[in-house]
Amino acid sequence: MDVTTSLRPAWSDAFAPDALRPVPRIGLPIDKDWAWGGASGAGITVAVVDSGIDAAHPEVGAVERAVALQWDAENQEATLSEGPHEDLFGHGTACAGIIRRAAPDVALWSVRVLGRRLSGKGVVFAAGLRWAIAQGARVINLSLSTSREDYFGLFHEIADEAAFAGVVLVCAANNVPAPTYPAQFSSVISVAAHDGQDPFRLDASPSPPVDFGAPGIDVRVPWLDGATIVSTGNSLAAPHVAGLVARLLSKHPRLTPYEVKTVLRAVASNAVTGGAGDEC
Amino acid sequence: MNPDDLLREIGELAAALGPAVRPTGADELLRSLTETARQLFGAAACSLALLSEDESELVYTVAAGEGAADVTGMRIPSSQGIAGWVVQSGQPIAISDLGSDPRFSRQAAEQTGYVPQAILAVPVETRGRMLGVISLLDRDPERPGAERDMTLLSLFADQAALALASVEAFGDLGRVLLRALAAAAAGDDLTVALGRAADSLPGADAGLAALAGAFAALARRGPAERQLALAVLNDVAEYAKGWTSRPR
Repeated sequence: MDVTTSLRPAWSDAFAPDALRPVPRIGLPIDKDWAWGGASGAGITVAVVDSGIDAAHPEVGAVERAVALQWDAENQEATLSEGPHEDLFGHGTACAGIIRRAAPDVALWSVRVLGRRLSGKGVVFAAGLRWAIAQGARVINLSLSTSREDYFGLFHEIADEAAFAGVVLVCAANNVPAPTYPAQFSSVISVAAHDGQDPFRLDASPSPPVDFGAPGIDVRVPWLDGATIVSTGNSLAAPHVAGLVARLLSKHPRLTPYEVKTVLRAVASNAVTGGAGDEC
Repeated sequence: MNPDDLLREIGELAAALGPAVRPTGADELLRSLTETARQLFGAAACSLALLSEDESELVYTVAAGEGAADVTGMRIPSSQGIAGWVVQSGQPIAISDLGSDPRFSRQAAEQTGYVPQAILAVPVETRGRMLGVISLLDRDPERPGAERDMTLLSLFADQAALALASVEAFGDLGRVLLRALAAAAAGDDLTVALGRAADSLPGADAGLAALAGAFAALARRGPAERQLALAVLNDVAEYAKGWTSRPR
């Protein structure tokens, strides 16, 4: 499809080829090769908090752990059951496939937080995140977030828990220009779509709240029943970055979430020296 | 209260609430919205599906274009499909090659007879509450400005949400008025009956009904009192804009 007529989700305007502004290059000997050259994601666990993962899809490979969370209306709490489950919608499988492409040897965990009902969804979502953090996931991919102000505090607390535990939260920026949580918080990595297809091309956003642009427009992704589809959304850009972070951490396992963000910024395609982008 | 006084009071109340209680027909408005979207985006079809009361299903309320007659009234579980993902995740999604999703093609063919190649679906939500999803099938991606379609369709979704919210508020108001009228017909004073009807509603609805009662009382006072009340109300509304509840 012609790039000029492709869909452009909210926040992706900054990454349009004719709009992308340079950002100052960080004066460190860091490039993509240093960051993840020769790495495969081995030894890193990536949790996909979404609709479940279809472990039978050939583009996904093994799912090491799977938990499904649900809202128990009677006791007003989230309940958790561990064991294989199916992907209800296809989206979690799409995210898993994207992560697997970038980092073939990661251990994937499926944390299913979407399900039968919407009520209690925020609490279920929060419980899923907390489970992944507590169980030792190193990277968490979140292609969903909530716009409900009531959850601001809860998700802020969880984002801090993750950052302090050294867990990198990679969040899709909302597809419409309004704040959602935890994507809005500075401790997470928030991602919108650029219209490139190279999974290793990362653009740095010159202005917050979005941090990076990654492929998310007309990308081919695995879906239900072993199929693949072509899809657009910021929710597909996030797993590209989650995969790159897993690769980076498999080579440099001691990096903190803030150092991870710094490295990603250093290797961004639009990080330049000279002119508008003087070296930091 | 004698019937003439009652009618006069109802008349005054209706006049005071006139602008709010004169919807042009919600279904018509939503149907026109889907038809406008369909034509504007050069799409084969456009539909609006709303969550059922218990949120377990999506009910296709209005639709325009291919398969519209078959899709209208159709119910699908909100725990599956592309529309289901949109309401559950709150994120829009576009798929430009549905043909390779065998499950979707099969379901679409069975249910509406129309098998689209592409879908763009965005959530319909008011602040903090998910109402449903607007889906556009086979929009024309070659139109100038088509890259903004996700944002544009989200604006349509906002309009639909506003219409739905006002219909809901109107319904609440209608319920309160009916209850108050029933009580008033049985001999109660209308203001007292309104207050009682307000008390019978839970939570936010009760507040809304109490507000309606206060308006009814104000409507009977002079212009100066109404002016003062309006100024105070505007100040409160302005203040409330910057106020958010953020429980920790």
